[in-house]
Amino acid sequence: MASQSIKTQALTPSHHLSLSDVARLQSLLSQPFTDLESAYYSVVGLTKLGAVIPDQNEVCHFLKSELDPASVDSLFFAVETSQAISGCEIPVSNETRDILLAAVSEDSTMGQIHRAVSALGSLGLPLASQEVIGALTARIEKEDNVMAITSALLAASRLSQQAELGGILEEIEDLTARLDDLGGMYLQFEEGLEATAMFVTAAYSLSDHVGVEPPLKEDQVIQLVNSIFSKKSWDSLAEAFSVASAAAALSSNQFHVPVVVRTHGPATVSHSQPTLQLLVTDVMSQPLTSANVLVESANAASSKSSILSQAPFTLNDGIFEFNFMSSQPASGYYQFTIAVTGDKRLVANQVELKVKVSTEVAVTNMDLSVVDKDQSIGTKTTRVDYPSKAKSSFVADSHQYFAMAFQLVDVNTGVELTPHQTFVRLHNQKTGQEVVFVAEPDSKNLYKFELDTAERKSEFDTISGTYSLCLIVGDATLENPILWNVADVVLKFVDEEAPATIQPKTLYVPKPEIQHLFREPEKKPPTVVSNAFTALVLFPFLLLLILWFKLGANISNFRLSPSTVLFHVGHAAMLGLMYVYWTHLDMFQTLKYLAIIGGVTFLAGNRMLAQKAVKRCVSR
Amino acid sequence: MSNSVISVISRFLEEYTSTTPTKLKVVDSYLLYILLTGALQFLYCLLVGTFPFNSFLSGFISCVGSFILAVCLRIQINPQNKGDFLSISPERAFADFLFAHTVLHLVVMNFIG
Repeated sequence: MASQSIKTQALTPSHHLSLSDVARLQSLLSQPFTDLESAYYSVVGLTKLGAVIPDQNEVCHFLKSELDPASVDSLFFAVETSQAISGCEIPVSNETRDILLAAVSEDSTMGQIHRAVSALGSLGLPLASQEVIGALTARIEKEDNVMAITSALLAASRLSQQAELGGILEEIEDLTARLDDLGGMYLQFEEGLEATAMFVTAAYSLSDHVGVEPPLKEDQVIQLVNSIFSKKSWDSLAEAFSVASAAAALSSNQFHVPVVVRTHGPATVSHSQPTLQLLVTDVMSQPLTSANVLVESANAASSKSSILSQAPFTLNDGIFEFNFMSSQPASGYYQFTIAVTGDKRLVANQVELKVKVSTEVAVTNMDLSVVDKDQSIGTKTTRVDYPSKAKSSFVADSHQYFAMAFQLVDVNTGVELTPHQTFVRLHNQKTGQEVVFVAEPDSKNLYKFELDTAERKSEFDTISGTYSLCLIVGDATLENPILWNVADVVLKFVDEEAPATIQPKTLYVPKPEIQHLFREPEKKPPTVVSNAFTALVLFPFLLLLILWFKLGANISNFRLSPSTVLFHVGHAAMLGLMYVYWTHLDMFQTLKYLAIIGGVTFLAGNRMLAQKAVKRCVSR
Repeated sequence: MSNSVISVISRFLEEYTSTTPTKLKVVDSYLLYILLTGALQFLYCLLVGTFPFNSFLSGFISCVGSFILAVCLRIQINPQNKGDFLSISPERAFADFLFAHTVLHLVVMNFIG
């Protein structure tokens, strides 16, 4: 197998028919049938899945009794079904043959042509391929939809191999262009699953018949696989039949066989389970036992260093196995690139897999000691072995600190480990209070933990007492997480407060209700004050009248002429309009009325003032 | 100091009452009325606060606007200023006064709320 110099992320199938899916499909197709069409879908569908047809004599009997020799469809269903079971021959007469031959013309529908051609072929009756091609080509012009062209492809695959099928073959490419791409993962016709599945069946059927590779790219084949096998329960017999036909076509054609690689169990290896097991099957979960599976490369996920290259899997009872632990990998995650070779038809035969190597951890050299801060008294170190607990408890007050040192090693290799979770938990037995610290490794992978009583008193709420000390070790790659009660520690704090019982956090009790504060109305002055001022404001008007009276202003010059009267009436009306504007109207209405009244007033006033002017000039 | 102020004021008042024509005195009493009204509105606002502010503003602007227009009218009808306003007769001044008041009252009524 040529090694790929460029590592491209090829698409791999995300959906396929698992064994339970195949069983479900088979049970749907095995339902008792009551007419010829259902019989056809059931029997031929089951045959495509490789299942055995029970009660074949009864089926044959059913076919012969239900057959309507005057209907092309009935003949098609009966004849095709009889081909799937052994020892069943549908009797054919000259009339039958003539009916079938007459159906092969450009005036019949594409479906009719396909069914007639198939029936004629299955019955072994002679057929002029060129005539059929002519009818098909003429019919493609008139019936352009997906199902019709799929029927044309199926019909063409029943004709003689010497016939000129090139024109029909080109339809495969046209139909491929009509597929809808969904997110780069799925390729399907908008007409639905049945159309897509029947197209795949027809395309490979014709391509196999003619011996020309269909113009489908590898990624397109995988996208079609995803579309067809993503639906796991089928609405009708016809849909189930189309999926079964597509599954059969994709597992046994001459050009493209998509490979499905799944792990058998979790993708984890350890000393107890050293082999990585893979299931390598086609889309119908049939194992590809003739294939060669090898690890092209295995890199550590974190350091990207290469562990393996070109290591083969061994086939053991249908499962491909590989003993990864023999390469003695350190625990962690590894990125595997697996290649399936041996058949140039295989599609999507390079798979990326993430494999975890897990191991067991052991705590060694656990040393506990109470160290005096001014180091006047020598420290006493106690060694504790897992899983026992230290016999005496350790006392630490504000002049001392408590120290703990230990190592974590891999049980199998003795290598020092740094797991994700190394916690030291102190639990006050009386109050239920719990404080957790993280133990950090130094440069030599030796874990150290120090508890300074004076520094850490706030975490403990300065509650003195006996605390049980536990070591917690955990990691995704560890098979044996550790929870070890190492010792009891008595902590004495200075400035002790009265121990408060720990309240669980009141996060989920109903909160106090928020009262909505409506907008307070503005503080208004007391009515007395406003009324007083209203009266006060009217007072200057009184003063004005008094002054005018004193000055001798009068209306003795008032001429009673129409323009004068009109002017004063109009002016009064304008003032009245202002009041009405304030109480009832809006600006537009006011302007409208103002225009009318104002116009009248202006004309009258103009005349009045002109008269006055004349009088003034005359009296001068 | 206060003596001279009192004497200035009394002299002014004497001159005013003797030399000013009656027509102008009529307008002057109108001006006094407007002034007092505006001052009272302002005093009320100082005492009780500016709520509702738009009403106070419209009332006050009305007083101020009327005062200004009346002053303009007084200037234009003063016979001593005839030389400055050759093209504007007293009747024309009065008509302008009425028109400007119409516009002012429209705005004030709109704003009074």
